[in-house]
Amino acid sequence: MKKKFYLKKISLLTACAMTLSVLSGCGAEPAPAEDTSAAAKEASSDSSSAASQSSSETAASSETTDSSEATASLEAVTITAWHDNDEAMMNALADVVNQTLEGENITLKFEKKSDVTGQIRLYGTDAANGPDMYLFAHDSLGGFAEMGILEPVENLIDPQKEADLLPMTLEAATYKDVQYLMPVYYETLLFMYNKALWEGDIPSTTEELYDYMEAHTDANAGTYALVNQHSTSYNVAPFINGFGGYIIDKDANPGLDTQEMKDAIVYNSKFATLQADGDYNTVTTLFNEGHAAAIIGGPWLISGIRDAGIDLGIKSLSDFTLPNGNALAPYSGVQCLGVLKYAAESKKDAITRVLEVLAEPSVGITLAQGFNCAPANSKAYEDPQVAENEMILAMEKTAQTAVPMPNIPEMGVMWGPAEGLLAAVNKSGENVDEAASKYQQEALTAIADMQ
Amino acid sequence: MKKTTKSNAWLYCLPAFILIGVIVLFPILYTGYISFTNMNLYHWQDFTFVGADNYIRALGKVDSGFLSALATTLLWTGVNMVLDVAIAYLLAVGLNTEGLRAKRIYKTLLVFPWAMPAYVSILVWRVGMFNTEFGLLNRLLTTLGFDKMDFLSKNTPAFLSCMALNLWMSLPYMIVMIDGGLQSIDRSMYESAILDGAGPWQKNWYITIPSLKKIMAPIVIMTTFTMFKQFDILYLLTMQKGAVSGSTLQTIITYAHQNAFVSNNYGLSSAVSMVIFVIIIAFSLWTNRAAKAERSEQ
Repeated sequence: MKKKFYLKKISLLTACAMTLSVLSGCGAEPAPAEDTSAAAKEASSDSSSAASQSSSETAASSETTDSSEATASLEAVTITAWHDNDEAMMNALADVVNQTLEGENITLKFEKKSDVTGQIRLYGTDAANGPDMYLFAHDSLGGFAEMGILEPVENLIDPQKEADLLPMTLEAATYKDVQYLMPVYYETLLFMYNKALWEGDIPSTTEELYDYMEAHTDANAGTYALVNQHSTSYNVAPFINGFGGYIIDKDANPGLDTQEMKDAIVYNSKFATLQADGDYNTVTTLFNEGHAAAIIGGPWLISGIRDAGIDLGIKSLSDFTLPNGNALAPYSGVQCLGVLKYAAESKKDAITRVLEVLAEPSVGITLAQGFNCAPANSKAYEDPQVAENEMILAMEKTAQTAVPMPNIPEMGVMWGPAEGLLAAVNKSGENVDEAASKYQQEALTAIADMQ
Repeated sequence: MKKTTKSNAWLYCLPAFILIGVIVLFPILYTGYISFTNMNLYHWQDFTFVGADNYIRALGKVDSGFLSALATTLLWTGVNMVLDVAIAYLLAVGLNTEGLRAKRIYKTLLVFPWAMPAYVSILVWRVGMFNTEFGLLNRLLTTLGFDKMDFLSKNTPAFLSCMALNLWMSLPYMIVMIDGGLQSIDRSMYESAILDGAGPWQKNWYITIPSLKKIMAPIVIMTTFTMFKQFDILYLLTMQKGAVSGSTLQTIITYAHQNAFVSNNYGLSSAVSMVIFVIIIAFSLWTNRAAKAERSEQ
């Protein structure tokens, strides 16, 4: 009887403990012991009030100077940035910033996350669990700006510090006339070829290129002259832009059924028949294993190509002329840092210093030398090693005709219909007019569904 | 029952109730709440109550595309279930044949697909089986002198390809369940049947299948739901971003995903989710009722 009584008590206690442990997760996060945020906030408000007494230009520079002094006297501040890039590259970027800011007790730390945009959407208002900044391509900007989770970079850094940034990168970082992002480097598509497999000179027109492909492709034997992700809109953009078409315009009107778009798709489909499946893994494997002599791709392919021991040649896509006389014009994707609003409120001065360092040429030089990234800072190209880098020179040249990916929120829902249209024509053999009309309707519905 | 005993019973169950509430009930209720708001990119933090607007829009999506997706879903569920049960039954019976050597090895090998994460299995099949350049099927075709074939670019071959993968992934579970059921059948029934002159067909039809029915009913119902709300196989094989195959196969879940979830309109997608939730609950009630009716007939 006594034993039964004890068992009962123990069971009740266990049940209570389990209940408490289940509920414990619902508790509020304890305040961090090292409350640098409040101090930083105070410092930043001091510096802002001091700055507001002067004229606008002087104000900006005095604010930066004051904030530097204030930050130096503060406790250590760590700025966390999420990314989904090559970790070695991000570590090199962090090293440049951290070495420069060594005496100011500011540390930049990168954390790799999959699906960064999805994660930012989830944690963009969560100061306790979210990052302070993120690094990602600029095309997601519009959505985040509309969500109201980003602090405009122009509120944090003196415009003079950004004077050397390429105008194309600043344009990409701007949404509705407000500069929200800090450009770091940009990427664009290139014509990359295996010098050991390509016969003769690289053509200068797309028609000559097609003739070469016809003569050097044997699909059943699995050998190709050129491979491309022919049903991915980013990879077909050089044709679309070259024909004067567009996926979506600045006013959020989809252009999948415009005549220029249809002409570009039909022209691209001619090449697609000689370019294998078009899936990313397939085309990169074909090129890296020596089954394809050339590939249309970006700098992200370089490490795999190097590992494969390929003697790589590079040509800018803007060196190829379409039958209409225009050059191929790929999209450019500018990798930018965005600052979350809550971080700008609590760590303003430290973030400003990080942004200032990122705007310097040294960051671009490091990324260019070590990772073939095309810097956003034009001064970085004066470095002798950068000036000799074939890939970066090709990207710099392409940047003159490249079109920044649209950064309006509606672009986010356009990738699906655009890719569906390309696959319908290239893979399922659907009529371009019918498919264009169907996917234009799908795009319009998707845009309407956003509201 | 004494009052204290009754309250103690509730107390013992409280942790489980709280867990169920947090993990199961809360997300459903919160989705229901969001479905009545205009939460989207443009109203991320300042969303307001919009009444049944999202439901009117969600039901507006019940167009020809939705009906076609519903028909595909029913066909997918029906064909997969029939083949899944039939093939698993044959294999399980085969594995229980008396005198069969190395039974355990066969059983382990058959369970292997189940042990692999679904995402990995699907991508392995996409590249290793269906890919035009590196896939086993195309290697066989070109070796035999045929042209390469894109198995996922058109609806019928894509449906069959997805079905083959689905069966590969789902058969182990069904085989294990049927195998377990077969072990529980009293051997003396077969011995009596043999004495009465029954052959293999009669033994299966009059002993094995009726004995398995009760064990199989909940498994079949659960698997039917899994098939009905299948998303990953169809999505990853034919419509993953960057690898769209060209086929336009849609089930109601992929259709809902394409039409509501990519838009970042959480109000609308929550309403679509609630509509699908109601459809699945109705389907569940109907199957439970059918199973109950069959049990009472017996």
